[in-house]
Amino acid sequence: MSIKGKYRIGIDVGGTFTDGVLVLNEKVIAKTKDRTTSDVTTGTINVIDNLLNKSEVDPTSIGMITLSTTHTTNAIIERKGLDKVGIFRLALPTGSAIPPLTGWPEDLKEALGGKDNVEMVPGGYNYDGEPIAELDEDLIREKVNEMADSVDTFAITSVFSPVRPDHERRVAEIIKEEVDEDIPITLSGEISTISLLERENSAILNASVISVMNKAINAITDAMESRDIDAELFIMQNDGSVIKADQATDYPIFTLASGPAASIRGAVFLTDIKNGALVDVGGTSTDVGYMVDGFPRESMMTVEIGGVKTNIRAPDLTSIPLGGGTIIETNGEEVKKLGPESVALDLQRLAKSYGGPMTTVHDIAVAKGRLDEDLSIFTTPYATQPEKAKDIPSKIVDEAWKMIKERVEKTIDEMKTDPEDIPATLVGGGSTVVPKEFKGTTQVYESEHSEVAGALGATLAEIAAYAENVVDLEKRDRQEAIDETIEMAKNNVEKNGGDPEEAEVLDIQEVPFSYMPGEREKIRVKVKSKFKGL
Amino acid sequence: MTKKDMKNDPYEIIDEWGVSESDYQTIDKEAIERITLGANILATGGGGDPEIGLKWAKNVLEEDKDIVMVQPEAIPDDIQLACAATLGAPVVLTEKPPAKENTELIFEKMEDYLERPIDATFPIECGGVNSPIGYAVGGERGLPVIDVDGMNRAFPELQMTTFATQGVSATPVVTIDDHHHSCIVDMGQKNKVAEDIVRNIAMKYGGISWIGCYPMKGKELKETGVLHSQSLAWDLGKTVMKARKKHEDPIESILEFLKEDRGIPGAHIFTGKVMDINREFGSETTHGFSMGRVTLEGIEEYEGQEAHLEFQNEWLVAKIDGEVKCLPPDMIALLDPETGEPIRTDLIRYGYRVKMIVLPAHENMRTPEGIETFGPRYFGFDEDYTPIEKLLEVEDD
Repeated sequence: MSIKGKYRIGIDVGGTFTDGVLVLNEKVIAKTKDRTTSDVTTGTINVIDNLLNKSEVDPTSIGMITLSTTHTTNAIIERKGLDKVGIFRLALPTGSAIPPLTGWPEDLKEALGGKDNVEMVPGGYNYDGEPIAELDEDLIREKVNEMADSVDTFAITSVFSPVRPDHERRVAEIIKEEVDEDIPITLSGEISTISLLERENSAILNASVISVMNKAINAITDAMESRDIDAELFIMQNDGSVIKADQATDYPIFTLASGPAASIRGAVFLTDIKNGALVDVGGTSTDVGYMVDGFPRESMMTVEIGGVKTNIRAPDLTSIPLGGGTIIETNGEEVKKLGPESVALDLQRLAKSYGGPMTTVHDIAVAKGRLDEDLSIFTTPYATQPEKAKDIPSKIVDEAWKMIKERVEKTIDEMKTDPEDIPATLVGGGSTVVPKEFKGTTQVYESEHSEVAGALGATLAEIAAYAENVVDLEKRDRQEAIDETIEMAKNNVEKNGGDPEEAEVLDIQEVPFSYMPGEREKIRVKVKSKFKGL
Repeated sequence: MTKKDMKNDPYEIIDEWGVSESDYQTIDKEAIERITLGANILATGGGGDPEIGLKWAKNVLEEDKDIVMVQPEAIPDDIQLACAATLGAPVVLTEKPPAKENTELIFEKMEDYLERPIDATFPIECGGVNSPIGYAVGGERGLPVIDVDGMNRAFPELQMTTFATQGVSATPVVTIDDHHHSCIVDMGQKNKVAEDIVRNIAMKYGGISWIGCYPMKGKELKETGVLHSQSLAWDLGKTVMKARKKHEDPIESILEFLKEDRGIPGAHIFTGKVMDINREFGSETTHGFSMGRVTLEGIEEYEGQEAHLEFQNEWLVAKIDGEVKCLPPDMIALLDPETGEPIRTDLIRYGYRVKMIVLPAHENMRTPEGIETFGPRYFGFDEDYTPIEKLLEVEDD
């Protein structure tokens, strides 16, 4: 399907608000902010209706809808609607001291079927691709059949599968033969990288939210059909790229941190600045991320979801408790404390500039004259009693303003990789409550529509893919190994719906194996490309 | 020989020894977390990620096995001890978590070779994965874990312990591969040669090996180990957690605890921001170690000063404005000013704000043999070892 020259809708589901935009050729035609509903889906469909009503465009002229959603995150956190997962680890004779699900919260373990459907069997490879043990196919068939009636999906993890996936793939074939050709199966090597326990956790979580994702996509597809929208549906992923909805149901875990990724893509949409810091200011907190070539830099840390450690790729982000509603404690003469407490959603009841009793970051911005126009997207004005903010002693205003500035500056600085000044882009509903100048930056960019940056970011349809290789440089030429890995990544980008001809290498990482003589290293390549129908 | 066929019970063992109630403690999940945190402060930036060991130890507890820590003074002189650890590439360990059978095999092979049963165990070092592994194997095997280690910090090589520098051989070392094959390396006092052999064996095994090492008698352990290093780590971990809870300065809390409770004179010598990290690559120069140099720019009361840190897996040398402030085996910790979390050499990056504290090495580490084995010259620095007490005195003048 071609989406060229057609309208695009971007939707960004947040904890409180679901934002939506309708754009044509990167021009914003309509935008909306709606309360996020507990089922997420209703709020999402409301946003589509709002955009159609506001813009009055013909539904058939919409070419794509991209959704950055919290469906799966909510399901895992609330332990609701999770699939029962059959868990295979192909690692024996290694690994038995730390079986699958070790350290998981009891209620989450329970929600996906407990320890009954966990099997550790021989298999897996060494880093050099030599098998640790051969698969015992008869044993695996027997175990699959034992589980078949009590599980909805399977998750398979084998040692060094990101390097050599053969065993995981073979077990998937066996499951399909024994159970059902269409049973959802998650292979850990397709989900994340080296570090077996975290990769296994990621695969199991992925397998547990497949139905949740399926239902969400079906509901939205139905809603689109009943509104005569015949568009390509994309889902935003953690790395800032998008995936076609029918593929997203295989990898729902990649949507878990798509919100911050969408914001970074939004900054690219708004300012075309592709490298530097992104400062996303909300009501209670500020996220500082880092863009590299228009995509979020990946975190090197493990990511905890619902109490489980995973190693899925997620944006590198520092979150500080500073937003419009952050409370400033004073003794009447000077600032005693800036946050971390916040008035949160009660800003209009509690903050000084609305006639309330508390001094907040919002009020300081009002006093500073930084906030002097109504945000068109909200129905309420920025302050009902701005003169109350002017009553705050100027010493306190200046002190607080300096503290706010320094706090953001420190966070930006911690996200850098070297002392060079970098550009910074301000986005988010609270972007006008912080200063517009920061030490350590070349320039601070701010743009209209920044309060719906995430939704705008979702309208950029770029496809990404990865590949990983472990090589011994004493035996293989380095460049040849890198080239081979790039080819692998380009094949993957095509599988994801991207155009391999247009593929661009985004990142090449080489990680040497420490505490080990010789020259072994891991090569990881990331490529991006345009969606084929663009 | 009298090989034990039945699973041991650590409580029965210490009962046999006549250990009084005040001389042992039961280790629960919270305790193992605190010990691991404290050990990583002592680890001097090295040791790697302890996560796998911690998970293993917790799983042992989840299986209702007991982990019991015993004071070294309470153990008989003639008991047989040995230590279990992993050696090799951490990245391989993350793909190949331990197998229960490894523990069994390490101890069984060692017992066969020594022709007597192992009665107790201990962690080889503070910090990294081998710290909680000491407790995990104790729990799996049902052996008491003694409150002691071989350095009170982390070091990268087998021979770098107070046991070895005071005449206890690291060998026989039992090395186990994934398939339960084994090699036994018995090199007498040639501990560095044993280290080289064992590391090469680990490579042939596929990157890591599980080892049993430092078999010794109770008397030897008491004479050559760093005693009470485990409870020191535990109390350090508790101190940091308490400071976090009460929103107190964790660094001040750590130094106050060390001084008041243990008489250890540590010092906060710098607060700075990481300006530059220069990592060296290529196995020719690094011999498989993570090596390099970090530059810190002073902030707060240290504004205008500059600090340099040299590392080889661990922080080794600290200099402020060109003056040497700490040399190995004295200890350096870079701590997050707000959480007190130690920052490892493999994780540090530009922009981190850190407080640097230095601590004196244990007296058993500072013997002439100790300085020869893990002093500045062993790591290639052209400096004579001077204790931090002296280096910091100069500053006060």
